[in-house]
Parts: sequence; structure tokens; C-alpha cells
Amino acid sequence: MKIDHFLKGDNISWMAGDGEHGDIVMSTRIRLARNISAYRFPRAFSEEEAMAIDRQVSSALLDCETLQTPLYHFDLGQRPSLQKQILVEKHLISPQLAKKERIGSILVSEDESISVMINEEDHIRIQCLEPGLNLKKALLKANEIDDCIEKQVNYAFDEKFGYMTTCPTNVGTGLRASVMMHLPALTMTNQVRALINMMPRLGLIVRGIYGEGTEAVGNYYQISNQVTLGKSEEEIIQELETIVEQVVAKEVEARKAMLEHAPIAISDRLHRSLGVLQTARILSSTEAANCLSNVRLGIDLGIIQRIPNEVLNKCMLIMQPGFLQQYTGTTLKPNERDVYRATLIRDMISEACQHKLEDEGEDSYDV
Amino acid sequence: MICENCKQRPATVTITMTKNNEEVVKHYCEVCSGQQDYLHIDEEVKPVTIEQIFSDWFGIPTWSSNAPQSKQPPQGKQQCESCGMTYQQFLKEGKFNCPNCYHAFYERLPEVFKRLHNGATEHTGKIPGGLNKTYQIKKEIEVLRQKMKSAVEQEEFEEAAKLRDEVKQLEKQLTQGGAANDED
Repeated sequence: MKIDHFLKGDNISWMAGDGEHGDIVMSTRIRLARNISAYRFPRAFSEEEAMAIDRQVSSALLDCETLQTPLYHFDLGQRPSLQKQILVEKHLISPQLAKKERIGSILVSEDESISVMINEEDHIRIQCLEPGLNLKKALLKANEIDDCIEKQVNYAFDEKFGYMTTCPTNVGTGLRASVMMHLPALTMTNQVRALINMMPRLGLIVRGIYGEGTEAVGNYYQISNQVTLGKSEEEIIQELETIVEQVVAKEVEARKAMLEHAPIAISDRLHRSLGVLQTARILSSTEAANCLSNVRLGIDLGIIQRIPNEVLNKCMLIMQPGFLQQYTGTTLKPNERDVYRATLIRDMISEACQHKLEDEGEDSYDV
Repeated sequence: MICENCKQRPATVTITMTKNNEEVVKHYCEVCSGQQDYLHIDEEVKPVTIEQIFSDWFGIPTWSSNAPQSKQPPQGKQQCESCGMTYQQFLKEGKFNCPNCYHAFYERLPEVFKRLHNGATEHTGKIPGGLNKTYQIKKEIEVLRQKMKSAVEQEEFEEAAKLRDEVKQLEKQLTQGGAANDED
């Protein structure tokens, strides 16, 4: 397996978009932070320590016989920054790991649902992604990887404080469970802000799609647990799941109310967005994200047909700067990017519409 | 929703402010909305870095009137033997340098964790497999000691003696390390 496999926008299992509550919950992510007791944390360690950690963890995972899905190891230190950027845009590695120049590596499964970052903020970061709302399955997979490493490696663990991590916000379980949600109706009706303000009291936090410190783009929000100490892994994901289900119910309610009160206005707005994607010649990432969000809402509400969700997912992915530059094969200035973005999305949407028409036959054409 | 300022009357006024390109929405009652000096309100809601939070909570000078750790002895030379990090440095940076830092600052960490994890100071989740056995034994001993205490209080000395023997047995297992465990 070569790294090229992981630099494409296809075959990403967690982007299938047909999991539980698939229309509102895009994906689920579990992250476990682990460290090896014998070495200093990455912010203070030597290059020798970094190499030893990489060797130990990689051999533990590559030689593990009980592991169900094989993992592939890639050294990131020497990679061109564009490749790393694409891995970031695919959520396979963090921006923090991409920034490191000499150290850092990744183990990843073929379907990209599992990735293990080595020497990011902690020695080991296990990450599992699933489509829809599926915290239990993601945790199960992460635990499988964790158990496999644990057999070969002496974890930094304290009986009182649990797994020791570089940042005290991860201590204890080292678990961060996140759910990516698409909440256009709650955003349009201004209810999202109240939701965001309420979350810290529940030990949860709401962020934009690209993690810490990012604004919500295209009405996508990431809800995750903030507290990692004093609760078991199962309690943490159970609490998150309960809240997510309530948010889903609220979003459904808001969508229904919107359709009841202003059906024409909504239909107009969503169709206009589709029109922009189909015809625009210049598209900024913000505009593209907002239009894609509206089209997705249109599909969920049954207002827009012909476009499958996976096409929208792929658009969301490849409209990012790194992907665009890989597609065109050159470096692009921001204004050039907007032009290529418009072209690429236009082609993908019209291709999807074409396919759908052929599948349905002539009779549905006049709708 | 109640007023964010007085936290008593219902909020009837919504104020949206833009400062440093950030939008802040506040909800006040009629009384408080008339009194607020809007320019100062958003100071507290601005996102703060973990470093700031740390120095706000734990780095307050001892001469400050409401210093939370005024009862604590002066900082002294608390330092991690293995990487050289001092407690002051940890507070400033908000991150540990090595696993041993946890042991070096062991006594002071609960107050730090409490703030970050809604009052929690102890781990209750997953345990690495290798540690499992000793950990379980320790927990068991704790439970037995508790039982022993209540047995003594109720003057059931025979029962207490039995429990004491059990504790002794378990403690022996612990001191002998994993060797005894593996045999059975």
C-alpha cells in the first residue's frame, strides 16, 4: 500500500453518510491519547526518543496477530507539505502533526476508519471514525488498537489519575468522543448559540468542523466531551449520545416548523444554492460550504432530488485548498483556487445529475 | 431564560455586540440592560487559552486578597527530577513535559484537575491490562478495610478478625508482586 492511496478523495468509509441519523449526524470520532512511561512527552523529548517510540508502537501494531484490519505505516517527517495538508483535510492527521518537520508518523487502515498518530502532542493518538452516530462501535475499534499496543508497551498510567497525557485536559481516560452534526435549521432559527452556551454545563463543548478554535463552516458543528477524568469511557459516550439525540430531535423539529411556516421561501433558498453550485464561476470556500449545506438540507427535506449525499460529501472534501492543488497539479493563489473550486464543483454536480437522470429514465425529466 | 447579570429577573433584552470581529450575544432583564456598560461585558466571554486559565487560577500572587492557595506554603523548589520542569513552569505553560511530572507535582494536581474536569480528581475508567490485577487487589483491600471498620463499630470482633486476615492475605500478594498471582 502506498501513501497515494490515502491522498485521493474516494473510498472513505466514514463519509458514506448512511449511518444512524445519517441526515443530521455526519460522522462519529473517538480519540484515545496514550503515552509510554519511559519517555518524555513530545514537547520535550529528543529525536532518539521519538524514533524509539515510533519503532515500538509501529512494531506492536504491525506484528499484532489479533488485529482485524491491517494498518499501514507512513513516516511523515520527509513528506511534502501538500501531502500532509491533504491528510489533514481528510482528518487523518491533525494540523499540529502536519506542522512538525522531522518527526511524526501515522498508521492507517485501508478504509481510513482507523488512524494512529505517533508523536503528535502525545506519543500515541488512536483515532477511529464511523459514519453517522456510532460511538460504541468507534470506541470498540479504538479499544482493540489500544489493547494491541498495550501488550508490547508500558503505558504511562497512574492509579489515581489514569492515563497520563501532555495536556491536563486529556488526563484520565484520554478519551475525546466527537460527533459531527449538520444543523442548518437550528442555525437559521438562531437556536444554535443557546445550544453552544449550554454545552459547557453538561461537560461538553461545541466547535467548528476543523477542530479547536475554528468557526462553524457550512452549518457543521462538532460536539465533544470536555471532561476526561472521573467518568468511565462508557459513561462519557453515553452522556454524549443522549445529548446528541436531543439535538437531533430539536433540529428535526426546527426543520418541520420551517417547512410549515415558509415552504416557498425555504424551497427558493435551497434551489438558489443549487443554482449557484451549478453555474458559479468563482466560489469562495465559505460560499461553497454554505451552498452545499443548503443543498444537503434540500435533499433531506425532499425538496431537491437527483443528487446523492456522497457527491456532496466529496465536494466538501475536495473543495479544500490542499485537494484543489493536488487536482490541478500546481500551487494556486487564493483567487485562482476560487475559480478551480467553482469548476470542480460544477462538474461534479452536473455529472451527478446526469447519472441520476439516466437511472430514472425519461419520464421523470419534466419535473 | 434569566438575566445574565442579576441572574434573577427573566431576560427580555437581547444585545448583540461586535468586538474584535467577534459577535457576542447577551441576554439581560430590563433593569440590568439599562445599567450595563457594554464595552466591558465581553471581556469575560472572550475565549481564553489554557495558559491564561492556568495563570488566572493558580498563578495569582499570594498578596492578592482572594488568592485561593494562600494557605499553601510558598512554592519552594518543586521540580520534576527526570525532566527538570518546575511547578511554576507547568502552571505557566499548562502542559507536562514527561510522565514523571505527575509524580513530582502529585499533591497539587487534584486542585488543577478539579477545575478542568468538573470537580473530578480521580480516574474511574479503563486500566491497562497488566496493571489490572494489582489495582483490583488494592481496591478490594479498601473495601475490606471499610467492612472491617464497621464490624468493629458494631462489636462483631470475630467478623473483624476474619476480614483482617483477608486483608493480610491480599497485602502479602501485593508485596510478592505478580509472581504469586501468576501461579494461581
